[in-house]
Amino acid sequence: MARRKFKSALNSRLSGFQKIYLLLIAGFILGPFIPLLIQSFAFRWAWPDLLPGTWWLEQREKSLLPLAWDYVLSPYSRVWEATLNTVFIGLVVTVICLAICLPAARVLAREKFRGKSAFEFFLSMPLIVPEAAIGIALLMIFIRLGLAGSYTGIIIVHLIPTIPYMIRMLTAVYQGLGTDFEEQAMILGASRWQVMRMVTLPMLLPGVVAGALFTFLVSTNIFLLTFFMGQGKIITLPTLLFSKIAGGTLDASAAGITLVVTVPGIILLLITERFIKEEAFGKGFGN
Amino acid sequence: MNKFMMGLTVTAGLLSSVAHAEDAEANAFREAFLGGEASWEDVSARAESEGTVNLYYWGGSDPINIWMDQVVATDLAKLGVTLNPVRITGTKDAIDLVLAEMGSGKGLGEGSVDAIWLNGENFATLKRQDALFGAFADKMPNSDFIEWNAEDPRSLLNLRDFGVETGNAEVPWSGEQYVCAANTARVDRADLPSTFAELKAYLEANPGKFTYVKPPHYIGNTFVQAAIYAHNPDGTGAEPFQQSIDDLGAEEMARLITPGLEYLKSIEPLLLGGQSGNARYPEDNGALDGMFLNGEVDMACKFGLYAVATGLNNGTYPEGAEAFVFPEGNMIKNKNYLAIPANAPNPAAALVMANYMTSVEAQVSKLKYTGMPPGVDPWKLSEAEVTALTEASPGLIGVSQADLDANTAPDTNATLVDVIEATWLEYIERDSADDLSVIVSRAVDNLAK
Repeated sequence: MARRKFKSALNSRLSGFQKIYLLLIAGFILGPFIPLLIQSFAFRWAWPDLLPGTWWLEQREKSLLPLAWDYVLSPYSRVWEATLNTVFIGLVVTVICLAICLPAARVLAREKFRGKSAFEFFLSMPLIVPEAAIGIALLMIFIRLGLAGSYTGIIIVHLIPTIPYMIRMLTAVYQGLGTDFEEQAMILGASRWQVMRMVTLPMLLPGVVAGALFTFLVSTNIFLLTFFMGQGKIITLPTLLFSKIAGGTLDASAAGITLVVTVPGIILLLITERFIKEEAFGKGFGN
Repeated sequence: MNKFMMGLTVTAGLLSSVAHAEDAEANAFREAFLGGEASWEDVSARAESEGTVNLYYWGGSDPINIWMDQVVATDLAKLGVTLNPVRITGTKDAIDLVLAEMGSGKGLGEGSVDAIWLNGENFATLKRQDALFGAFADKMPNSDFIEWNAEDPRSLLNLRDFGVETGNAEVPWSGEQYVCAANTARVDRADLPSTFAELKAYLEANPGKFTYVKPPHYIGNTFVQAAIYAHNPDGTGAEPFQQSIDDLGAEEMARLITPGLEYLKSIEPLLLGGQSGNARYPEDNGALDGMFLNGEVDMACKFGLYAVATGLNNGTYPEGAEAFVFPEGNMIKNKNYLAIPANAPNPAAALVMANYMTSVEAQVSKLKYTGMPPGVDPWKLSEAEVTALTEASPGLIGVSQADLDANTAPDTNATLVDVIEATWLEYIERDSADDLSVIVSRAVDNLAK
């Protein structure tokens, strides 16, 4: 269905140059996945062979230990544990981030106060200071507080790089919203809570969803801060992948884990793609 | 937010005061065990009440990970201890964690690392910082499988780790030897070099077909050490390199290592990529394995007695791979160990784990699963136990055990390794024009700071 739509769009509306351009972009995005996919099924793949000389399935019976996808999908690879951790931390971070950023964005968008621009600059500081510097300094403090190696510790550090993004997005949404509708509701006798629940939030929702999605994706991709705070005890998909490929080689199981790491992001994008395109960017920002 | 942070601080404060109550008890246990007053039953009972052991180890190998989860965890569960295998990307991460926690005032019973798989510089760091639990290694039931008699020369690797006295604060876990492998599909066995001079001749005929891992990676350091031993101007090989830098002195050190480093400089244009003036040194053994598999180089050297058999079993080595004797008389041997840090949260469980790892049963299954050679000494075992180990071995390909034993050399003192590493980086990597004696004395001064 989708493919047919894509094809017809390709045939009808685009010029020859545009078609080639589109295919090139698709090639650049999908290209790197092809060797990764082949590697994940390989047993021995040496240069200059175009395809593996020995495939994993040929060796599967002979090997004492699980190889390639058998390893990736076995509990020994800890992929499942890492996925659960990544999703759990991402969700909690997103919720806390929203709770902090919604009121903050409202104030930043609507009120004027002294030092506001300095404050806004201050808020984006975490994006400028290198993660490693923040990470190692916080680790020293967190060890004293007993937060190192705990979920709480990781969630707190994940808030550092996500809050600036979320605040910026929500401030833009609030600015686009104006106060007219809320005032009108109040004139008609709505309480503050009712205004919040029935007017402000529904109008903000598309922006909130976009911000939440973005926060979740950022959180699921943070390596260095998670690595410092998790101390190897709490593993997420990025730390698992790093420990696997840090040896400098990409064997079959490393290739398999790399593919798995991309899955949560892709699923999330597929689910929300439609919503974001039509709702958030249509109403939230376009207004 | 403020309230939240305050709540966290209060909670952390409460937690740390609880931990302090345990602290005294853990220290009393340590005193009793090291003083020989605690029986192994006491240790086992305390280990069961502690419940968990956090073992930090390099987690980059699938077979080791599988063995830990499948075999070690199951066997330790039978002893009432839950294994928490923490996979780390570099052993130094665990060392840093121990030292950071000690710096934050966390003592025995309060840290997060119970045991670390390590050797060489990482052990030396813990020892220097006084961050070790103590002399436990010869006080466990399975310590009998290891030679502790200092008068027996075979005990060297059990008592010294890269020349640093272990003080029995770490127990041997696995013994390795630096072995080179060649792809016999590309090189005739008759053409394989056995000395550094022959290696150079081979490279002159086949430029670019060899390289070694780049120092400061220990696998690279070891190749440099072997070259230095072989070119020792006094002809005494590894012998003078067993002393620390303080005993040897910078001047003498420079004299001893000059011929070896000059040799390495002379072969640089013949190494992989050297013909275009840009010799390529792989960053670690994984990268070297890749070059070897892809036929970029004909030979590859690393620690791995059974590396060829293991590499063929998991597809990381080319089909024609075989080990060979190189360099003659200077195939460096060392051991790697399990150490217990001074702030281990579960010291008794760590001891139970270390004792299990030293058992013949664990050594046999480790060898079978991962190809890691035993760390226990065969002459301390019964005949049946030796047979079990032999049967578990993936086997030597291309060399015999007798060849390997005949060409053994000990590792270099850890303090000298630092100097050699710094000198290599300046003399070869950065192409310093300074005299080697100047470079060495500068390296010694920098390291003393």
